[in-house]
Amino acid sequence: MTDSILQVRDLMIGYEKALTPALNFTVGPGEILVVVGESGCGKSTLLSTLAGVNPPLSGEILLGGKNLSGVPIHKRNIGLVFQEPLLFPHLSLIDNIGYALRASGESNNSARLRATELLDWVGLSEVTGQKTWQLSGGQAGRVALARAIAAKPAVLLLDEPYSALDPETRLRLLADVKNLVTHEGIPTIHVTHDRSEAELLATRTLTW
Amino acid sequence: MLAQHLPRGLKWLWVIPALLLLTFLIYPLVKLAATAWSAEMLSELTDSTLWEVALLACGQAALSVGLSLLVGIPIARVLFTYQFRGRGFILALVTVPFVLPTVVVALGFRSLFGDAIPNGLVLVVLAHVYINLAVVIRLIGAQWSTVDPRMEVTAATLGANPFRVFTTITLPALRNSIVLAASVVFIFSFSSLGIVVVLGDGSGTRTLEQVLLRSTSVLLDFPAALAAAILQLVVVSLVFVISARVSRDEPRATVVLERKQISGRKTRLFVMLTCIVALIVVVSPIASILWSSISSSGGITLKWWSELVSTSNTRIGSPIAALGRSLGLALGTAVLAAILGGAIAIAVMSKKGFVVTLALIPLGISAVTLGLGILLAFSRGSLDLRGTGALIPITHALIAVPIVVAVATPSLRNVDPRRYFVALSLGAAPMRAWWTAFGTVFGGVMLAAGGLAAAVSLGEFGAATLLSRTDSPTVPVQIARLLSKPGESAFATAAVLSVILIILTMTLLLIVDRTASRKVLT
Amino acid sequence: MFRLVAVVICGVITISACSSSPESTPTPGGDAPIQTVRMITHESFVLPPSFVSDLRDQGIDLQITSTGDAGTLTASAILAAGVPTADLLFGIDNTLAVRATGESVFESYTSPEIVSVLPEFAQDTHGGYLTPIDFGDVCINSDNGWFDQNEVAIPTALEQLPEIANLLVVEDPATSSPGLAFLLATVARFGTEWPAYWEALRDGGVAVAGSWTDAYYSQFTLSGGDRPLVVSYATSPAAEVVFAEDASVTEPTTSVLVDSCYRQVEYAGVLAGAENPSGARIVIDTLLSKKVQEDIPLNMFVYPVRADATLPTVFTSFTPVIQTSTSLPPDQVNEELSSLLDTWGTVMNR
Repeated sequence: MTDSILQVRDLMIGYEKALTPALNFTVGPGEILVVVGESGCGKSTLLSTLAGVNPPLSGEILLGGKNLSGVPIHKRNIGLVFQEPLLFPHLSLIDNIGYALRASGESNNSARLRATELLDWVGLSEVTGQKTWQLSGGQAGRVALARAIAAKPAVLLLDEPYSALDPETRLRLLADVKNLVTHEGIPTIHVTHDRSEAELLATRTLTW
Repeated sequence: MLAQHLPRGLKWLWVIPALLLLTFLIYPLVKLAATAWSAEMLSELTDSTLWEVALLACGQAALSVGLSLLVGIPIARVLFTYQFRGRGFILALVTVPFVLPTVVVALGFRSLFGDAIPNGLVLVVLAHVYINLAVVIRLIGAQWSTVDPRMEVTAATLGANPFRVFTTITLPALRNSIVLAASVVFIFSFSSLGIVVVLGDGSGTRTLEQVLLRSTSVLLDFPAALAAAILQLVVVSLVFVISARVSRDEPRATVVLERKQISGRKTRLFVMLTCIVALIVVVSPIASILWSSISSSGGITLKWWSELVSTSNTRIGSPIAALGRSLGLALGTAVLAAILGGAIAIAVMSKKGFVVTLALIPLGISAVTLGLGILLAFSRGSLDLRGTGALIPITHALIAVPIVVAVATPSLRNVDPRRYFVALSLGAAPMRAWWTAFGTVFGGVMLAAGGLAAAVSLGEFGAATLLSRTDSPTVPVQIARLLSKPGESAFATAAVLSVILIILTMTLLLIVDRTASRKVLT
Repeated sequence: MFRLVAVVICGVITISACSSSPESTPTPGGDAPIQTVRMITHESFVLPPSFVSDLRDQGIDLQITSTGDAGTLTASAILAAGVPTADLLFGIDNTLAVRATGESVFESYTSPEIVSVLPEFAQDTHGGYLTPIDFGDVCINSDNGWFDQNEVAIPTALEQLPEIANLLVVEDPATSSPGLAFLLATVARFGTEWPAYWEALRDGGVAVAGSWTDAYYSQFTLSGGDRPLVVSYATSPAAEVVFAEDASVTEPTTSVLVDSCYRQVEYAGVLAGAENPSGARIVIDTLLSKKVQEDIPLNMFVYPVRADATLPTVFTSFTPVIQTSTSLPPDQVNEELSSLLDTWGTVMNR
């Protein structure tokens, strides 16, 4: 699985001024790198830079040895889950999860089949027919995760997911996340300001 | 959703707009219909040319809608999702065409494209796009500013290319405002008069409004006019029924998001190009008017501007006085429309949907028809309002009401009712709690409604020409009068007045945009 | 809250009421009490200054309301027949008058001043209901400068137009009153053969504008367009001199194709059911008074009907009264108008 190793070399991020020192790290299969820091320190910017939303100031990002400079978001194969689930309200739960499969050209039927499996897998088969806004926060979070996993990302980026939820639900979900990414072997970068969360999840941590 | 959260004092407030609309909208129309009603009308309704005109007008309107969306959506994106210097100015500028008197727009288009584009249909559609750009940009932009851009990012990380993101995520998120904007543009283009008369060149560009004008003013054939008016109202109602069916009832984003700073070369290029295109599109017809106001057969001159102040020109009355009058009327209209808008907002909250439907009726009725009805209804006996001078602001407020409704409804549906309970639980009296929870949005809605209504009033011509006193014309009426007389000075003075109208409108819109957006954002 | 709203609404109405309510003037000499007379007219009516002051001297406060163009004015008068919105109407013309008198819109009145009116108009009262006030002619105007430069002869007869129709812009008779007048001029000249004449104009490339404004201000060569012939008014050349930017312009650069003229007469009438019919009659007499009649030309660019009214110099030198102007019998216009417009639409493919 060498092609899913994320390497970051001398990466400087920010908009006009650099927010961080030059960053160097690697994340491999089954690893969860937790980035810990106060809000405003550039954690989220790091994730959006990796995902290709904004360009780096300098440095390189390599995925499986290939430089990602100039590669648009949709061709990077990097999954990104934000703090809020951001489900697409006009689509059904199944179509939310199947979105990536449809985008990659799969037929509607096979996408739905796979999405139904994933919904079942995150333990939500009983809410299949519900609208996105009828879900509880925890349920929506699970759907968002399933949706990201369905794309079979080479790297998964989690931007303080579930931080709007109550602590108990959040911890349960985070444990699920941990099992999942270890099981699937997806290199993961998780961003948080909560040190206890870092301890729970991290195979390694990064701060600056 | 919000009905149960209304304090008792406000629960019955919807009665006010309902009564006002019944008195000043429904009653005059019924009165007009009753006066013109006859058995002949029914046979006129089966006249095939009438239906032919309706069908052609539908086609023309559909073209206008399509092109307006095509041009307006990118501009809405730039103006409502990015923060940059000059944004407010461009937003105000693209709204100007909507409130310019149609005669002025039509002449601007004729002098710009008259030779290059001989096809009347193309000219008419272009002019409709020009006028309605503001409708598309403002309605769709308002919704766009509530769409979380991270939704699009999420879709892209799932492997969707930009086109796919746009069609499967962005457009569906904007669906309701697109449907609303499309219906409004359709109706305006379907019932267009001034543009079609000046720029249309034949049977392909006729509208029912034109048939109506010809029947009332040339042939004095009232049954035919009534038939045309009824058919027009039916089409307009159909459009609304369809648009209500098509728009989705789903909870919408509640927060107006901070606009993005521009980052990246591509984005910067996109924003700059769109702004430049918008500027060129909006400014070129205006520029030809500006040019007319400072040029004469002898070259460039400021004579027309200086003459405006000296008011030596008795045959048109004093332009300065007309300006004062127009501003006064705009102020009256603004206050009335703000009250009406606020009350309709509460009606929206109390789920009194029929008030909203009532308020949308003026969209389907020409200003002239409405003016004629009001004239008939309030000119005699105990209901004689003519001497009071209140008729023009009332009519203008009614014309502006659909815009008010369009502005008010989305932002009010977005208010989180929990805020009301929080305020209540903190010990506030119901009215106070209501104001704490909804006051800012409500105030923003009233301000926006009043400002837009004032802008509409400044440029409105049709009703003003019916209702204004001869010795005290409004600016658009004076422009039209000047343009119906020969002589270089008449045309140039009309151009000067148009330029002043444009400046006034822009100033007004800039102020409203600033204050209203600050109120809604904080 | 209710009270607040009510107060604001009333406030608005009062503010606008104050701003436009007429000032009350003290009666000169304090004899007759001030009486109010309401007049409706069309939007292009321009008040001769002497008119209002003369009426004030007679104790009349005139409130004028304009209601669209001449057609809309007539339409609103017919809709309100018997229960009028004013006391008198000014501005109905000979094309539409028959319809209005047929619907008992007016009450009959013969002004004592009618004896001073030119004989050809004095009889023209539509059965005693209407009083002629002014008249004008719709004629083709030519841009002389263009014809000089291009060394083309200015046409002198309607029959010459088809071969140079690509130089002419007319207005759509369905939406423009001069356009309608010109159509009627061709009907008066060619009788039942008129459609053939228009077919020839069409084949020759005549331009049809939706309104006079568009024709004159954007298609006529004088205003930068490409058509040196336009359907306008007989007085337009004089207006070009009076309202020229350059004060040294003393001679018109346009002239009138005398052969193409159609006569329009404007009337005033007391509305049936008026609240103040006697005041309305005084207003009509004043409209016919020598002073007001002499004020009419330079304000409205039409001719007074009064025989002894002196015309301003600019009229006498550049805009002589057209002697050859035609017009159709009002009854014929009334009967055929609808079918004329339909046929015209078919011929011109509009």
